[in-house]
Amino acid sequence: MKQQMNNEFKALEGKAGSRYWKSLDDLAETPAFREWAEREFPQGASEIQGVNRRHFMKIMAASFGLAGVGLTGCRRPKHEILPYVKQPENIIPGVAQYYSSSRPTAWENVPVVVETHEARPTKIEGNSSYLAGGGATDIYTQASVLDLYDPSRAKRNVRGSKTLDRAAVLDLFSEWSGQLASTKGAGFAFLAEKSTSPSRRKLVAALKKKYPQAIWAEYEPIDYSAADRAAETYWGQPVRAINDFSKSSRVLSVGSDFLGKDPGSTEYTRAFSRARKVENSKQANQMNRLYVVEGDFTLTGAAADHRLRLSSAQQEAFLIALAQELLRLGATGNGDISGLVRGMPVDESIPLDWVAACAKDLNEHKGHSVLAVSPGAEDRVQWIAYFINELLGAPGTTQSYLKIPSSSAVSISDLAVELKAGAVDKLFILGGNPVFNAPADLDWPLLQQQAGEIIRFGYWNDETSASAGTNILLPHYLETWGDGETMDGTLVPVQPMIEPLMDSFSELEILATLCGQKETDPYAIVQQTYAERSGNGGAGFNTFLAVGILPESGYDQVKPSAAGAKVVSAINANPAPAAGVISAKNLEVLFTPSYHTYDGRFANNGWMMECPDSMTKLTWDNAILISPRLAKELQKETGYQIFQSENVMTETGQLQRNSAQFKRGREQALVAELTVNGTTLRGPIHVLPGLANYTVVVPVGFGRDICGPVGQGVGFDAYPAMTANNRWSTTGATIELTDDVYPLANTQEHWSMEGRAILREGTAEEYSESPDFVAKMGMESHSPPVYGNAKDMPLQQKVTDIPIGGSLYKTPDFTAPQQWGMAIDLNLCTGCNSCVVACQSENNIPIVGKDQVLRGREMHWLRLDRYFASREEDDTGIPEEVQVSFQGMACTHCELAPCETVCPVNATVHDEQGLNVMAYNRCVGTRYCANNCPYKVRRFNFFDWNKRSDGHFYEGPLGPSGPAKPIKMQKNPDVTVRMRGVMEKCTYCVQRIEEAKINQKVKARDSGDIKVPDGTIKVACQQVCAADAISFGDVSDENSEVSQWKKSDRDYAVLGYLNTRPRTTYLAKLRNPNPSMPKKYRYEQPFGRMDYEERYGHGSGHGDDHSGGGHDDGSHKDGHGDTGHDSHAGDHSEHNAHGDSHAH
Amino acid sequence: MANVFPSWVNRAPLRIIGCLLLVVGGVIAGITYYMTPKWARVGYEPVQPVAFSHDIHVSQVGLDCRYCHTFVDRSEHSNVPATNTCMACHSMVQTDSPALQPVRDSYATGEPIPWVRVHKTPDYVFFNHSVHVNRGISCVECHGQIDEMETVSHEKSFSMAFCLDCHRNPEEHIRPLDKVYDLTWKPESKKAQLEMGEELVQHWKVNPPESCSGCHR
Repeated sequence: MKQQMNNEFKALEGKAGSRYWKSLDDLAETPAFREWAEREFPQGASEIQGVNRRHFMKIMAASFGLAGVGLTGCRRPKHEILPYVKQPENIIPGVAQYYSSSRPTAWENVPVVVETHEARPTKIEGNSSYLAGGGATDIYTQASVLDLYDPSRAKRNVRGSKTLDRAAVLDLFSEWSGQLASTKGAGFAFLAEKSTSPSRRKLVAALKKKYPQAIWAEYEPIDYSAADRAAETYWGQPVRAINDFSKSSRVLSVGSDFLGKDPGSTEYTRAFSRARKVENSKQANQMNRLYVVEGDFTLTGAAADHRLRLSSAQQEAFLIALAQELLRLGATGNGDISGLVRGMPVDESIPLDWVAACAKDLNEHKGHSVLAVSPGAEDRVQWIAYFINELLGAPGTTQSYLKIPSSSAVSISDLAVELKAGAVDKLFILGGNPVFNAPADLDWPLLQQQAGEIIRFGYWNDETSASAGTNILLPHYLETWGDGETMDGTLVPVQPMIEPLMDSFSELEILATLCGQKETDPYAIVQQTYAERSGNGGAGFNTFLAVGILPESGYDQVKPSAAGAKVVSAINANPAPAAGVISAKNLEVLFTPSYHTYDGRFANNGWMMECPDSMTKLTWDNAILISPRLAKELQKETGYQIFQSENVMTETGQLQRNSAQFKRGREQALVAELTVNGTTLRGPIHVLPGLANYTVVVPVGFGRDICGPVGQGVGFDAYPAMTANNRWSTTGATIELTDDVYPLANTQEHWSMEGRAILREGTAEEYSESPDFVAKMGMESHSPPVYGNAKDMPLQQKVTDIPIGGSLYKTPDFTAPQQWGMAIDLNLCTGCNSCVVACQSENNIPIVGKDQVLRGREMHWLRLDRYFASREEDDTGIPEEVQVSFQGMACTHCELAPCETVCPVNATVHDEQGLNVMAYNRCVGTRYCANNCPYKVRRFNFFDWNKRSDGHFYEGPLGPSGPAKPIKMQKNPDVTVRMRGVMEKCTYCVQRIEEAKINQKVKARDSGDIKVPDGTIKVACQQVCAADAISFGDVSDENSEVSQWKKSDRDYAVLGYLNTRPRTTYLAKLRNPNPSMPKKYRYEQPFGRMDYEERYGHGSGHGDDHSGGGHDDGSHKDGHGDTGHDSHAGDHSEHNAHGDSHAH
Repeated sequence: MANVFPSWVNRAPLRIIGCLLLVVGGVIAGITYYMTPKWARVGYEPVQPVAFSHDIHVSQVGLDCRYCHTFVDRSEHSNVPATNTCMACHSMVQTDSPALQPVRDSYATGEPIPWVRVHKTPDYVFFNHSVHVNRGISCVECHGQIDEMETVSHEKSFSMAFCLDCHRNPEEHIRPLDKVYDLTWKPESKKAQLEMGEELVQHWKVNPPESCSGCHR
C-alpha cells in the first residue's frame, strides 16, 4: 500500500507546477490526461454508446420507413400567413424591440434592456443608461430569461385540490382582507423575500399601519444584510458604504467576493477594471494592486496580486492585526475604538510580516486605498472593517456613505418564535422557498405546520408549494409591473415584456388588495411611487420607462461619524466565538452561493447548470471542495486514492478501485461524508488548490427534492447544515471518505491546449521596463516568420492584403470595406462566466445534460479556460499556493484558417469581411475541421439537442420530440437553430454585424456612407462584460477601439507561430506584486513563467523577436524574416504541428 | 466443349450497363428538374381565401406598394397587411361585395385571414427586404410583374443562383430610388441600364455580399 502511494506522489513530485495547468491530472501528466488532450474529441464522444446493433437496425428501419412517408414532402407544403387583424402600434414584424426593465434581486435591482421579438423576450442586456453598470449584467441576469419559458413552472392557482380562476383568487383575497381587518392582523404572518421595491416598502408600511398585529418577516438564505446592520451600529444611523474601486489604487479584500458573487459585483467589477486597465507601458505603474485574504477561492482571489490563504475564522484576527499595524504607522481614527483595538490581543497564527507589508502599502496610499469585506460577514468583522477604512481615509474618497431607508421587517427566527407559540393562524409565504432553505435548526417544514393555514405565493412547484394548501402564482419579472432600486438607491422600473403566460398575481397587487387599497393595479402603483420620488407630480413617467432609470434619484450621500463609545460596548458585548485551532479534525466549513444555482433558485435553469463553475469547472453538480493539504492527509491516513497516479492499473492488471482520477476526462470523485453541527452531508469531493488548508467549501442550492426535471436531485443539499447563527461558516466539522465513487462532469480538461505559450502574463514592473516582453515569449521567436517580408506592414493593410508571408497556401480576398476583429484584455478579465451564458442566450446554444458533458460534448461556443500556476519552490508535490489566470477562448477567426483547408464540402469558408463562417446547410459532419482546429473551439451536434430532450437523445426519431414548446420561444429568430450532424462555432455574432450593416445601408440610401461607425456593433460577450475586457470592431480602421487595443505591445496571438493569423488577439495579463513583501510572498515573475523560459528561452538570444501572428504594429525587428528561413517553411510547419520547440 | 452460354450473353453486360446508365441518368435528370427550386416553385399559384387582385389595386387604382406592405422599407419582413388596412377603404368601397366577406368576417371576429404563402426562402436564409428596396432594388426584380397579377404567382426561382446572379452583377438590376416602387418603370435599353447601373453602384458603394454570412447566420 505504501509503495503504491509513493508512486502516486511521485507522479506529481518534481512537476510542482512551474507551468500552467488546468487540473492536478494535467499537472501529473497522467496517461489518461495525455490521451484526452491529444484527441480533438474524447474517446466515446465520437462513438455511439448505449445503442447495440439490434437497436441500431430497429432505428434505421424506422427512419427509412419515415423517409418513405416523407417523400410527399418533395412538394412544398402549404404555408399560411396570418397577419394581425388590427395592426398593433410600434410592432414591426421582423424588427426587434428593446424595453428597459430591471431584474429584482434581494439586494439590488439590475437595470436591464430586454430584446423582444414580436412581444417575446429573448435576450437580456444591461442598461447602459445606468452608468455604474455600463450595460453589463451578471451571469444570473443573463440566464433569468430562460426561467420565463420554463415548461415546469407552476401553472395553476390551487386551493386544496381545486383549481382557482382569477375571480376565485380575488374573492379569496377579499375574504382574507376582511379577516385581517376584523382581527387587526392578529394571527396573520407574512414571510417574504427581501426586495428593493419602494412600492412594496410603501405597501408593507400601509399593511402594518392598518393591521398592526400582523407579522411581516423577511428571509434570504444567502444573507448579505450584516454590512448595513453593522453600519447602523457603527455610524449611529442607517447608512450603506459603497466602495469606489475606480479611485482605489490599493485594494484589500478580506473574505469578500466583490468581483464575483457579492451584491453589486457588476458595478464593482466595472470600477475595479478601470483602475486595473493599463493602456501602455508608461501607465503600468499606475495599475492598482489587489490584496486578498480568504479561505475560499473566489474570483476576487483569482484576480489578486497577493493572496493570503486564511480560514474565515482567522480573518477577524487578521483585521485586528492590520488595524494595530496601521495605528502604529500613524493612521488616525475614532479615539475610543483606537484605544480598544490597541489593547486587543495579537493572534500569532497570522503572518504578521504579510500584514505589515500590506498595511504599509495601504497606508502609503491613504485616500486611495480601501478595504472590502464580505457584506455577509459577522458584525464584529464589519465594525473593524469600518474602522480600518476610517484609518485609510476611505470615507469620502474611495468609499461613499448613503443614507438608506430602515427596514422594520422581523427575521425568520422571530417568526419561528411566534409560530411555536401558536400565534399564527394564516401564514402567507411570498416567494422564496423556506422549506428547502430555511435555517436547519428551525426545522421549518415541521414548524410551519403550527400555522393554521399556509398560503404560498410562488413561481415554481417546489418543496414549499408541496407543503402548502393554497398556492397562488407569482409572475416572472418579465411579465409584471414593478419597481426597485439599484445598490445606490437609483429608482428603476420593472416593465412587463409579455402578457403573463400564467394567471399570476404580482406582489404589489396582492399586498394592495389585502390592504384593501383602492388602487390595486401594479402599473398605477408604480406610477404613483414614481410621482412621489421624482417630485414633479408624475411628469416624465414615459421618459423614465424609456431610459430605464430615474437619474439622481439615489440615496442621499452623508458624512457620518463613528459612534465610538457605542461601538466599543457593542464589540465588548459580542465576544468572538472561540473557534479553536482549525485543523483536519476541526475543519472550517464555508457555505457559499453556487455559481450554478445561486441559492437554489436557478436549479431548474439549464444554462446555469451547464455553465462550468469558474474555479472548479464543474457542471451539473456541486462538490465538497477541499484543499490539497487536506486531501493529501486524508489519502495518507485512509489509503483511499484521491490523487492520480501514473499507473491506472494495479500490478495484477485490475483497474484501481476508489481512485479519484480522470478517466477519459471524467472526474471520478470519491464520495465523502462531512459532519457539520451534527449533520452529515454526503457528496463527492473535489480538490481545489488555493483553499485555506483546513477550510472546506460547500456550495448550497443543489439537491432539490421537488424541482423541474433539470434540477431535481442534482448534487447534494447543504442547507441541512446551515443554522440560523452560522449562515456563512462554521467550525468543528469532520470529514470521512467512503467507498463510493461518483462521476463529476468536469470540463476543466476538455478542449485542452497542450501548455504552449498560450497564456502570457508578466508583472507591471517588467512591462514598464521592457514593454516588448510579451513578444519574447513563446514560439514566435523561433518559428519562421509568418508575415515574411510584409512584417512591417501596418495592421490595416495586413488585414486586407493578407500578405502570403512564408506560406504556400493561397490567401483569401478580403474585399469588404470593413474587416472585423476582436481583442481581449486578459488583464481585465475576472473569469465571471457571464459571457458564456450571454453567448448561449444570443446564439441559441443548446444544453446537453450531464451525461453528454461527461462525454465531452458540451456545446458552449465560448469557453473560459482557467489555468493554475504555482511556484517552483513549492515542491510539496501538490501545490497549495497557486495563481490563477482566465482566458476566454472562442473561434479566433483565423485569416488563414486550418479548418477551411480540410473541409471536403466547403461548409466552412471565409467571407469578404474576414469572418470564418459556417454554412450549416452545407455541413455534412465529417468533423475534419474540428480535428484541424488548433484552438479546439469547434462544437459538433452529436444529437438533435434542440429537438430531443435529455434522456431521449439516443432514441432518434422514435423518441418524443422536445423540448416543450415554451423553451422555443426564447430562441433568437436571427440565428439558425442547428440540427444534428452539423458543426458550429463562434460566428462573431454575425447576425449583429449584418443587422448593423443593413441598418447603415438603409440609412445611407442613395449615398455611399455605408461604413458602420465604430462602437455600433457590440457582440454578445462584449456587451455583457462588466470589466470591459473585450473590444470588437473594424480592424481596417486604424482609429477604431479594437485597432487601438491591438497596437498595444501586450497584444499577442495565441499559437501565432502556426501562421493562422487569428483575428482575435489577446492583451497579456499583468500582475502587480508589492516589491517590499517579505521574501516568502514576493515574486518577480508570475508563477507560470518558468515553464516558458525553459521551453522557449526568453528570445533575447536572437537579439530580436517576431511579431508572430499577432497584429501588433509591426515595429518589432524580425531577424528571421529572410528567405533563408522561408525556404524551410514546410519543414518548420511540420515541427510546429507537433509542438516541438526548435533547438537554438 | 459446347458453349454453355449462347453468344448474345457476350453483349449482355454492355446492355445491362447501358440500361442502368439510362435509368440512373433518367432518375438524376428527373430529380434535377422536378426537385429544383425552378420546377418546385416557379408557377406556384395557390388559391387565396380572398380573391385579391394586385392588378386592380396597383395598376388600376394606383396604390403604392407601401400602402399595404407598410414595413417593407423598415424590416427584413415585408408584412401582409392587417385586416384593418383592408377595411380602411373597404368600409366605404364595395361594402357589399361577397368576395370581401372573409375580410369583413375577420374584422368582426378578430380571426386573421389565412393567406397562403407564395414566396418563401428556406429557414436557413435570412433575407432582408429593407436593405434591397432602400438601395435601388425594385419589387419586380424578385416578384416579377406583381402589379399586373390577378392572383399572385411565383415568377422567379429563388434558388441561390438566382440571388447570386444579382449580387454579382448588381448594375444589371439596380435603379434610382424613386423608381423602386414604380413597377412599370423599364430602362430605355440594356445598355442604358448598364451605364446607369454602374454609376449607381459606384456612387452608392453598392457592395452586395457574395459569401455565406450575407444570408446564412
